[in-house]
Amino acid sequence: MKKLAFFVLTLSLSAAALAGAADQVSVDQPYVRLAPPNAPATGAFMRLRNSSEQDVKLLKASNPASRVTELHTHLNDNGVMKMRPVANIEIKAKGEAVLQPGGLHVMLIDLKTPLKEGDVVPVTLSFDDGSEKTVDAPVMRSMAGGMPKMQHGH
Amino acid sequence: MNKQGSLIAVVLALLLLLLGLAFFWQPVPAPLGHTERALPGGDFTVDSAQGPVSLHDYAGKLTVLYFGYTYCPDICPTSLNATAEAMQQLTPAELAQLGVLFVSVDPQRDTPARLAEYVRFFHPQMVGATASPATIAEIASRYGVFYARQDVATAGDGYVVDHSAETFLLGRDGRVLERWPHGTSPAAIVDRLRHAF
Repeated sequence: MKKLAFFVLTLSLSAAALAGAADQVSVDQPYVRLAPPNAPATGAFMRLRNSSEQDVKLLKASNPASRVTELHTHLNDNGVMKMRPVANIEIKAKGEAVLQPGGLHVMLIDLKTPLKEGDVVPVTLSFDDGSEKTVDAPVMRSMAGGMPKMQHGH
Repeated sequence: MNKQGSLIAVVLALLLLLLGLAFFWQPVPAPLGHTERALPGGDFTVDSAQGPVSLHDYAGKLTVLYFGYTYCPDICPTSLNATAEAMQQLTPAELAQLGVLFVSVDPQRDTPARLAEYVRFFHPQMVGATASPATIAEIASRYGVFYARQDVATAGDGYVVDHSAETFLLGRDGRVLERWPHGTSPAAIVDRLRHAF
């Protein structure tokens, strides 16, 4: 009986953990940049906010529109922009991570079919506690200021 | 030293610091409008879908020049979007005095036809062009442009190209006037262009 109680406790704890990061991280303004013609890849951008007391790591992203999905960043090396994969994207406790052109982003590599303006790509984010969250990212022409113009309607 | 004396000393030190900052502080990166006398730059000829394009074809106009490549996953679209948005804010009279040239540093993959389709996506007035690897290397060296192939298994055709992500503004005589860092906003570009017109 004690064993069973322990099992149930463990199970409920892990369930709580599973709900954890995905519930604590909110995603604002997700979008996929409309790629130029023939582009084999494009970026998904968003703002991730962590409302919990613990740091959260985004370990992986996936989506049905491209064959490969990677987490990337850019290093500015004396004016030379170098794009490199990163193992994870950390979202500090009570902090945020901004994924935007020229910086951190989710890279959609090897698109299965070209994406059109108005398409919506469901992007699944996997966190370090095993929880997942899927956000719908509309495809739009990127606005160089970072976030798309549509979102500035205030 | 008494309490008042040390307070005055602190205030003086802060004032000095402020004065020093006002005189010597240079925001990083270098401010827009920074003159580029050190770069030789100069005329060059590259191939577009409409035939050869030379810098001297734009004599009498301002030219915005960017080096990149069409497989570029993020940096080039970001830079070209900024330039295109700035172009949309210019008057037709201003646009008539402006040439915008995208030179590919990836001639192995970027054909003139592919480049034409690519730049049209951003703005109809942009011209995309490239040349032989040797010619591109020679032009890049004169403009202080760095580029290097990096093998990435998941990239299209297996590689990306690290490259200088600055946008050049060339004067009516073709000389390099300014270099804008990656991430320069469309509003700042409009401002710099109007300043130069």
